[in-house]
Amino acid sequence: MTKNIKFTVFLALIITFISCDDKIDVDVPEAPPRLVIEASLDWKKGTAGNNQTIKLSTSTPFFDTTTNTSVIGASVRVTNNNSNAVYNFVDQNDGNYTITNFVPVLNDSYTLEVIYNGETYTATENLIPVTPIMNPTQSLEGGFDDEVLDVTIFFDDPADEENFYMVRIKEDTDLFAELETQSDEFTNGNVQEEFFEKERDDEDPEAEYNPGDTVNIRLFGISERYYNFISLLIEQYDSGGDPFSVTPAEIRGNCVNQTNEANYAFGYFRVTEFDEIDFTFQ
Amino acid sequence: MKNSVIWICLLMSTFLFAQEKFSVSGTVKDKKNGETLLGATVYLKGTTIGAVTNEYGFYSLTAPSGTYTLVISFLGYQDITKEITLTVDQTVNFEIEEASTSLETVVIEAEESERVSIRKPQMSVSKLNAETIKQMPVVLGEVDVIKSIQMLPGVTNSGEGSAGFNVRGGAADQNLVLLDEAIIYNTSHFFGFFSVFNADAIKDIKLYKGDIPAKFGGRISSVLDVRQKDGNSKNLEVNGGVGIISSRLAVEGPMFNKKGSFLVAGRTSYAHLFLPLIEELKDDKISFYDLNLKTNYEINENNRIYLSGYFGRDIFDISQFVKNRYGNASANLRWNHVFNEKLFSNLSLIYSKYDYRLVLDFIQLDWVSDIKNFNLKYDLRYYANDKIKLDFGVSGITYDFNPGEVKPTDPSSPINFRKLDQKRAFEAAAYISAEHQLTDKLTAQYGLRFSTFSRLGGQELSDYANDQPVVYNEEIGIYEEGEEIGTTNYGKSESIKTFANVEPRLGLSYQLNDKSSVKASYTRSVQYVHLLSNTVSVTPLDVWAPSGRYIQPQKSNQYAVGYYRNFNDKKYSLEVETYYKNVDNRIDYIDGSDLIGTNNIETEILNGEARAYGLEILFRKNKGKLKGWLAYTLSKSEQRAPGGNAGGPGINRGNWYNTPFDRTHDISITGSYDFSEKWKFSANFAYQTGRPVTYPNGQYEYEGLSIASYDARNANRLPAYHRLDLSATYTPTKNKNRRWQGEWVFGLYNAYARRNAASISFTQDFDTGINEARRLSVFGSVIPSITYNFKF
Repeated sequence: MTKNIKFTVFLALIITFISCDDKIDVDVPEAPPRLVIEASLDWKKGTAGNNQTIKLSTSTPFFDTTTNTSVIGASVRVTNNNSNAVYNFVDQNDGNYTITNFVPVLNDSYTLEVIYNGETYTATENLIPVTPIMNPTQSLEGGFDDEVLDVTIFFDDPADEENFYMVRIKEDTDLFAELETQSDEFTNGNVQEEFFEKERDDEDPEAEYNPGDTVNIRLFGISERYYNFISLLIEQYDSGGDPFSVTPAEIRGNCVNQTNEANYAFGYFRVTEFDEIDFTFQ
Repeated sequence: MKNSVIWICLLMSTFLFAQEKFSVSGTVKDKKNGETLLGATVYLKGTTIGAVTNEYGFYSLTAPSGTYTLVISFLGYQDITKEITLTVDQTVNFEIEEASTSLETVVIEAEESERVSIRKPQMSVSKLNAETIKQMPVVLGEVDVIKSIQMLPGVTNSGEGSAGFNVRGGAADQNLVLLDEAIIYNTSHFFGFFSVFNADAIKDIKLYKGDIPAKFGGRISSVLDVRQKDGNSKNLEVNGGVGIISSRLAVEGPMFNKKGSFLVAGRTSYAHLFLPLIEELKDDKISFYDLNLKTNYEINENNRIYLSGYFGRDIFDISQFVKNRYGNASANLRWNHVFNEKLFSNLSLIYSKYDYRLVLDFIQLDWVSDIKNFNLKYDLRYYANDKIKLDFGVSGITYDFNPGEVKPTDPSSPINFRKLDQKRAFEAAAYISAEHQLTDKLTAQYGLRFSTFSRLGGQELSDYANDQPVVYNEEIGIYEEGEEIGTTNYGKSESIKTFANVEPRLGLSYQLNDKSSVKASYTRSVQYVHLLSNTVSVTPLDVWAPSGRYIQPQKSNQYAVGYYRNFNDKKYSLEVETYYKNVDNRIDYIDGSDLIGTNNIETEILNGEARAYGLEILFRKNKGKLKGWLAYTLSKSEQRAPGGNAGGPGINRGNWYNTPFDRTHDISITGSYDFSEKWKFSANFAYQTGRPVTYPNGQYEYEGLSIASYDARNANRLPAYHRLDLSATYTPTKNKNRRWQGEWVFGLYNAYARRNAASISFTQDFDTGINEARRLSVFGSVIPSITYNFKF
């Protein structure tokens, strides 16, 4: 029911009819920095998937814009638990740890090990396969607003299993991508669809999708645990504390500190297959 | 049990000492329109023998044989007296008249005659009549019962645009809201901007914040008892009003040869008529309406039947992609029967329903959920003698919960039909309660309520490994769904789980002198149905769930003591109360819980507890040109949910944390000033400590986004909330004797344009990528209004 989360946004929209919104200064608490592991081993359909990057950084105070958060000098290793193959990632001294000979195998189990500041962090995930993206279509009528362009992707959900998806869309001019999750709880075995539309801004005709705009759309097959993690992360990111949102909470990923349990890491170790298309609005 | 033995002995002793006594009983009505009056005082002059009329205007009192002067008094009405000779039991009905000039009208009554209120053991109760409520300045000129009670000490809500209200730190679902005895599940229109009660159809409201009489049960925080008018039994009367948001019309009059009367009241918003004029909103439909009905028929002096009904709806259609309909419906058929001068009874058959429908066209989804209940109850009051009055009765409620049904709107929809488990339950209760004058100064009210609740079968339920629907994942420190190991099928005639509870209620009043008294009370109450809501504000989408295998009934104990005093010939009054309450089995939601469309709610919750305590001060000026009150509350409300059998430390690491309803300070001032016959001014001022919220304590980058990290729940607070509202009522006087009477009400809500934060959200600027805090103010400016009310 991912769209139900969107419903809360509609409620907020209704309130917006008469409300006003402004930027203010707020004093927020500051927690000590924590390690952030963004270990996303994503295998694009039809490629070898040998090149992979893991990013390590630290958290900062909420309004901080100055701190360099890159983590250098960690040891990063991934093991395939089925084949026992070991992949050592190379420190690029900018927070990125890369490898060029990773071998992805669908449904195999992988374990991540990060050693940083004498503490060992581990996480285990399976490589989840994904169904391909079918015919993306554009329309005016599809989304919330009938006067702006939207794009819808379709994909075929396998009927005999529970599936979880993440869709990532980014226009080439966007600063960041938009993420959505879907489960087949209410739609098992059917053709799934997910639409994207940008809100109209009367002062900026470029805000919405226009003919000629190109968007990159990726569809990931994800595990149920990652689905829970990323859905909560997206929900908290989007709502950020509006009146119809759930009380925000710490989002715990799967990276466990084996040395000092309390000093766990943010982020997640995911291993996914994804399909990707570039779509240009006509 | 030991306690009840003592009470029975107390009762017996008074019976034994009874001398030759006679009773006088009857009803008290308003002379002008025949409305029965609740709370009028009837007493024998020069004695301490007196009674207060009940919801149906009935009174009964008993005294040794002799000649007395019977006095009937009701604030705002002229006292009347009548000589009676008590040598036989007799019936005396009264019709009393409003005090001649409206300037004398008293705007608030706690308990009618202070003579009784100082002595009466009932505490923690506030009564407001429709007149008082109508005089308060309100948003957009919409008279609002729910907003008016928030001016009382101990009552708050989450600000504009949030539904429901919170009493003494309790949640909105812990309030029993009754409209002519029918349970109202959703008290708001338009997500909390307006209440569902049309003030033209309402006689009075009573709010019990504690010391809840034994005849009420099923909710643990409060009882809001709203009574509809019976309808004018003397003349045809039309009331109405035209405002910015809605228009109202109420017609009432005599029926059945003046043996009965009727009331039909409607209210509808008409913003939707103007929406098409605004280009951007032309496809939207936003409206609400209410319909109130009541009729009664007096079969004979001892039998009277009442039929009342309510139907309300909210409609939201947002440019074809969202269609949203929801509302309450209720009906109540009552039979009042007077057995004799001492025994009054009422039998009620009540139906209520709340349903919610959402159609999301863009994903072809049609969502429906509802809750229905039938309630049969029989309440009796026995005026045993001049010292003891007994209330007793039974009730049975059947519940039908439909937590959600998903349908595809057309065959091409990706949505599959799915229906969440329908749930059924039966709640039964019996109670007995006595109001007992122990000595000249000491009066007690003591009672017992025995309640049972059965979650009925007719469905399959999931079984979990180790009977744990929620388990703690030690490795990554989060709560997750337990492992489902099978299902148990419960037959239709089977009961899944049954609960039984004894709920003692006790109140004591000690009169210090004729001006002041102290009171103390203890209330134990049990709540078997729960509103599932993990958001800050209750939304119309939230569904109710019964107690059962995994959800325990909420149980609360509340202790309160108070001091009451009248000054200056009752011109001023002071009420000071302090309370402590604890609640067992308050359910709490695990981090990241998803409640909508979830069949097995037990996998999203932990069993928690709550506690609240506070001090409330209410100082009123009851008479004169300037009337009103000042209310101050100092309070604390917290909850916690340890891991228990699920393992782990619990929600928020098992620590106590502020409930969203915690307000350290809450000040409300409301006043009205009768400037002249033409002009009347009113003002409200409210100040509250900010609502507890959770602020981020850091950020990190993930997927290119700046993600906020959070720690302890509700450890921070929004800025303080404060607001001033003003209104002026102009009554043209040149046509004073004309039948058509009109008045203009001009209002300013949020008069100094305070931008109160409904929420503060922490987001990343889309263009710069820099984090920022944004304040959402529901009303960022002054909201003016104008309303025209008429009567003929």
